[in-house]
Amino acid sequence: MSESKKPQSAKTYLADLATHVPTSSRRDFLKKGVKFSTGLAAATVAGEAISDNLPPNIPSWSKSLGTGVVSTPYGVPSKFEDDVIRRTVEWLTADKISSISMSPIQELKGIITPNGLVFERYHAGVPTVNPEEHRLMIHGLVDNPLIFTMDDLMRFPSESVINFLECPANGGMEWRGPQMEALQFTHGMISCCEWTGVRLSTLLAEVGVQTKGKWILAEGADGAGMSRSIPMDKALDDALVVYAQNGEKLRPEQGYPVRLFNPGWEGNTSIKWLRRLEIGDKPWHHREETSKYTDLMPDGRSRRFSYEQEANSVITSPCPENPWGQKGSYEIEGLAWSGRGKIKHVDVSIDGGVTWRPARLKGLVLSKALTRFSLPFKWDGAPGLLQSRAIDETGYVQPTLNQLRDVRGTNSIYHKNSIHTWQLQSNGKIKNVQLK
Amino acid sequence: MFSLNKLLITLTLTALVSLSSVAFAADDTHYGIGEKATAEQIAGWDIDVRPDGKGLPKGQGSVMQGEAMYEAKCASCHGLFGEGEGRWPPLAGGEDSLTEDRPDKTVGSYWPYASTLWDYINRAMPFPAPQSLTVTEVYAITAYVLYLNDLVEDDFVLTQTNLASIKMPNEQNFYIDNRPDTNNTRCMKNCKDPSKIVVIQSLRGITPDQETETAPESSEAKPNLSEATIAGKATYDTSCFVCHGSGIAGAPKIGDKEVWGKRLGAGMDTVVKHAINGYVGDNGVMPPKGGNLTLSDEDVKNAVHYMVEAQ
Repeated sequence: MSESKKPQSAKTYLADLATHVPTSSRRDFLKKGVKFSTGLAAATVAGEAISDNLPPNIPSWSKSLGTGVVSTPYGVPSKFEDDVIRRTVEWLTADKISSISMSPIQELKGIITPNGLVFERYHAGVPTVNPEEHRLMIHGLVDNPLIFTMDDLMRFPSESVINFLECPANGGMEWRGPQMEALQFTHGMISCCEWTGVRLSTLLAEVGVQTKGKWILAEGADGAGMSRSIPMDKALDDALVVYAQNGEKLRPEQGYPVRLFNPGWEGNTSIKWLRRLEIGDKPWHHREETSKYTDLMPDGRSRRFSYEQEANSVITSPCPENPWGQKGSYEIEGLAWSGRGKIKHVDVSIDGGVTWRPARLKGLVLSKALTRFSLPFKWDGAPGLLQSRAIDETGYVQPTLNQLRDVRGTNSIYHKNSIHTWQLQSNGKIKNVQLK
Repeated sequence: MFSLNKLLITLTLTALVSLSSVAFAADDTHYGIGEKATAEQIAGWDIDVRPDGKGLPKGQGSVMQGEAMYEAKCASCHGLFGEGEGRWPPLAGGEDSLTEDRPDKTVGSYWPYASTLWDYINRAMPFPAPQSLTVTEVYAITAYVLYLNDLVEDDFVLTQTNLASIKMPNEQNFYIDNRPDTNNTRCMKNCKDPSKIVVIQSLRGITPDQETETAPESSEAKPNLSEATIAGKATYDTSCFVCHGSGIAGAPKIGDKEVWGKRLGAGMDTVVKHAINGYVGDNGVMPPKGGNLTLSDEDVKNAVHYMVEAQ
């Protein structure tokens, strides 16, 4: 990982640059000659030693013109950031169509996940839905069954909220023991966006829910017909029917053109490519709420409708991908979140949980959203066991792994929100470990 | 330019005038947006089934009928006996395994309701061709999967009226989420005995390589490929990939010259015919059109060319 972060040699960089100049301007450039080829020659002579672009020299990009407006009509990240990508663990699933990828949370700043990096979870791949032909139908125990076009949905008053979205299997690979030497794989099934749409309660008022209506079946237009039973209380509380994320229309991966969004709840309840909401008096017990997304306990019984994502946290720097170097000043930084409300405190331990000190919450502290914590730290080069512990506004304290295992055993797959441990080695490297 | 400005002014005035006669809907719970969903529209989309049988269409299917259908459309992923191929879900077995170290959660050992099976097969199976089965096929395949789990006899006929009466062995073992189930406290000092900390290291060698992959092979079809091959990529990506990408159920993997070469000994036309009509060989099972009967013969032919020629 750190290898790919090394500054490129001047030669490679210039060669890259040359290939990125549009052909026509490169021709002009070469005709006029000089500076560019001089730079190449100098770099060749210098070999691997980086020099030309460092002080006291004037870097090449200060002595040339860059690309003009709309050369990239929809902007993309710098090419030097090409390792900031979603990744998957191939052995987790049978194929890539019904599978999951993780957000590179080790590289992200603040609390918003860029749209192209939001983790993916599909049950039958990403359908290509034509918004002109997409419809949302609401029927069942209602006075006035309705069918909406996308234009219809956007005529209702809209709301925007910043909330995390997390797969309940986040961390689920590590119930039995540590497996993944990377934060992206231990905790990357989470993202946080600004979501914009219409309150589900507004749409329900429009159709007139009958008094017997206590549950809602939400169903997607994908090839899985992904479906979940949602209790009416949640629908009337804070559920949204969402058509935009981070200022632009939903990405296809996130349910374009419209999805359900249940703040704080396990991600699969926020049905993507939403086509239908049926009001009923009982839950449906469909495959994704019986066979899957139920939590098997050690006594052989299972919890169902385990919707809430409990308080969780993890240190994102340092982490296996972001090791420390020499001793000196560092910021221990990380993310905390709770599906039950705001994060109230985050504590950090460097001795495996013997002593704890409070970290500072920084930036926005929002309900059911990623929250940043920070603890400036002067590292003397001693090894340590780094942990973070979140406490949410309900008073719930993030449990240790042993506390979780005592109650739930190791076969529940979902909802592993225990305190995570990074082993800091004296060379600054970070290993993923668990404490017994 | 002048006339355009004038037009804009006119439009603005018109808008202002009409606005004054429109009531703001802010306090009104009804916005009057959306069309009435007709009974016909609802009937076309309302496919869900509940444990009490609500939502089941009229129809039936027998274990006997289901056997051939299962073998043609399901066995390539789920195995002839429901044992599961590769990482695809096993459907049968696993009785009394839920408290074991490695529980085997199948339809018989885990699923609480038979209706869930009917509903899921109907909405999402077979994986490459969802919502392609007839009502009879869904009843028959559901019956057969129940039979694979010893939940019904081989002469059983599943119907709209008897499905809700089938009791699944694990039904009583589900309960509503009762979290929070832990009670950690916010201890700050001397929270544990440091000498008793045991550090468990992670397993080696299973973390995926995170180096930025060298540019993946261009997903665009290469210019030196035949036209049929170029046309076949889209079909491969959406349908054939499921088995021919990984080689499950004895499926020749895409671009595997050696294995495809053996198949091609019989001639390309024969291979294409087998792909269209289905084929059971010594090495594997090819369901007709891979189970996706919405594909045209031409689609299948092109996809075969793509798999054979792809590098």
